[in-house]
Amino acid sequence: MITVSLFDPPMCCSTGVCGPVLDPTLLRITEMLQQIKSLGATVERYNLAQQPAEFARNPEVKRILNDEGTTALPLIFINGELVLKGRYPGETERTALLQRIQNTSPSDPQ
Amino acid sequence: MNHHNNNQTTPSSPLHSTLPLPHRPIADILTDAPRFLFFTGKGGVGKTSIACATALALADSGRQTLLVSTDPASNLDQVLGLELARTPRPVPSAPTLSALNINPAAAAAAYRERIIGPMRGLLPEPTLREMEEQLSGACTMEIAAFDEFTEFLAADGADAATHAHIVFDTAPTGHTLRLMALSQAWTGFLNHNTSGQSCLGPLAGLEKQRSLYSTAVDVLKDHTQTRVILVSRPQPAALREARRTAQELENLAISNQCLAINGWFTPTHPDDDVSAKWAEKQSRAIATSKEFLASKPLYLAPLLSDNLVGLDILRAFFRSTTNNIQNGTPPSNPSNPSNPSNPSNPSNPSNPSNPSNPSDLAEELAASGRGVILTMGKGGVGKTTIAAALALALAERGANVLLSTTDPAAHLQDALNGETGTLQIERIDPQAETEAYTREVLASQPDNLDPEAKALIEEDLRSPCTTEIAVFRAFARTVAHGDNGFVVLDTAPTGHTLLLLDATQAYHRELGRQSRSPHHEEAIANLLPRLRDPAFTRILLVTLAETTPVREAADLQDDLRRAGIEPQSWIINQSLADLTTADPILAARSRSESKHIQEILQNHSRRKVYAVDWSPLEPIGRHALLHLIHHHNTTTTNQANQEPT
Repeated sequence: MITVSLFDPPMCCSTGVCGPVLDPTLLRITEMLQQIKSLGATVERYNLAQQPAEFARNPEVKRILNDEGTTALPLIFINGELVLKGRYPGETERTALLQRIQNTSPSDPQ
Repeated sequence: MNHHNNNQTTPSSPLHSTLPLPHRPIADILTDAPRFLFFTGKGGVGKTSIACATALALADSGRQTLLVSTDPASNLDQVLGLELARTPRPVPSAPTLSALNINPAAAAAAYRERIIGPMRGLLPEPTLREMEEQLSGACTMEIAAFDEFTEFLAADGADAATHAHIVFDTAPTGHTLRLMALSQAWTGFLNHNTSGQSCLGPLAGLEKQRSLYSTAVDVLKDHTQTRVILVSRPQPAALREARRTAQELENLAISNQCLAINGWFTPTHPDDDVSAKWAEKQSRAIATSKEFLASKPLYLAPLLSDNLVGLDILRAFFRSTTNNIQNGTPPSNPSNPSNPSNPSNPSNPSNPSNPSNPSDLAEELAASGRGVILTMGKGGVGKTTIAAALALALAERGANVLLSTTDPAAHLQDALNGETGTLQIERIDPQAETEAYTREVLASQPDNLDPEAKALIEEDLRSPCTTEIAVFRAFARTVAHGDNGFVVLDTAPTGHTLLLLDATQAYHRELGRQSRSPHHEEAIANLLPRLRDPAFTRILLVTLAETTPVREAADLQDDLRRAGIEPQSWIINQSLADLTTADPILAARSRSESKHIQEILQNHSRRKVYAVDWSPLEPIGRHALLHLIHHHNTTTTNQANQEPT
């Protein structure tokens, strides 16, 4: 079973439509996470402004915040392995990420 | 108990001294009071005074009573002479009364602390500061204040449960309708949300909120539990607003409503010209709304010489209105009517301690060629009127003028009576802006967008929080229009406007943090710099020469200065200082004005102060509005004794 974890910087809503800047990237991320779910993977998404306990509970996330601060957000993990730090994935990276999940059988115990 | 006291106790009052409709004295409002009482209405109608007097009388009858203000610019502290907080504080010398203030900023601070507090020591300080910043936005403030509001309605906390009556003194209409409608909006949003996420946080943690909000909806609709008192003045705009509010509350199924007309003037000197004009003006206002006024139980409170401040005065107000409402000697008005002539002679134009002529302001503004002119101040002081009048005066001088408003309850067309001429008229309507923003976001999505992702975006767009950002964006764009001409922008009453300014600053900081993002819109990125540019933005603080509006305008000025914005001038509206009248109440009002005008000139304004005279005509329509700006007493002539046209 694959688990994708996304740790967002502090924000109001995850699509960003309630912020001052309408960032198309955030909307693409929402879309990508939906696609990942439809591939059978588990998606966890945490917003620092709403679920800080999840950030504190994860030793790796906590270490990064200690060392680098919130500019290191967002963080994306696949089964605990850090795959992206400090920005959201661009189009090519999103495709690669989806490819990687697709190539891993949902029943693969890793 | 019959308080329909229609027998005149004063000698030969003119015809219009009696309200030609069945009514009862204001103190009767206590009869059969349900648990929750909401006092709402246009700014300046006396919601706080009547709510306080009601709460005090209920408490004095031995029932545990809680008085709650939901106005972000509450004056409850001053009226009660007590510093209020988020939790109930006992009111000295009223053992069964306590009071509190739901202040969005304080509520948001507490909300932040609930989230951030447990993280201290677990997450690094800079991270906590970033969270704090994010949780200082408009959305958090609204949610936090709304949560506190519903807790009292649902009688959830121990504080609420122990009270027999909870009396709400609400913010002016626009803000209050939003608060009432939010219970239903959030309940609907939570019931239909499928993503598991929301601006309120992960939905799993919101079970408590969900039941809280739906209880609030039920309580507001239940006529055995909730009564709304629509407070108004005998004045057309206030009556129209009461009528619209009644309808909107009806749409929310909040139907236990009654009406309180505050500031009813009963002339005492039949030969006094000002008294006669004052009484005629209020009779004309009543005539426009007879049907509405007859549709609900009606209570009447008399015109007083100044604002009600202090427990003794509040108590006396209710105790004696039963007997005195008809004879024009209200309790808090121990003024001496023996000298009807105005003691001051404030109309010497060479005296620098006098306010200036408003047509000078129109000239000065016109000379600047472009920019944004904002009218700000307490509800009911005439912001819309002054904005419309100045817009007309600028257009008359050939300028390209856009007149708009951020007040959801304002009606510019009513003020202009449709006589717009070359003016371009707009309004920032929260619902329309939210719809436009929703369309804009959805239109910017690619056609092949994943349907589930689209559903998520639509869901976030339905969140009541989206309204905040949509209004903010519209505000930024309207201000940006000032690049190409004049924008005269009428704002909502102080509390609402302060929240808009807070949002402006919070979003500005958020943009600073997101400087990597290439998606800044010019109007939004430059909003705060534009507002801070004194050559571009001119804020006019509008006030009446009365205790509470002056204090509120002065507090607003402090807030503006903290945000790096210096008001351009003060405008004293409906000035009575030049009136000569034999009526004791009107004369006392006129006298007390001089004191407030001097206070503004000496303590508050750093630039110019202008005065717009009280007019026996309603300032409606092009002619009457321009008259306000151009016709001003520069001599000791008593304008009120002249024919208005």
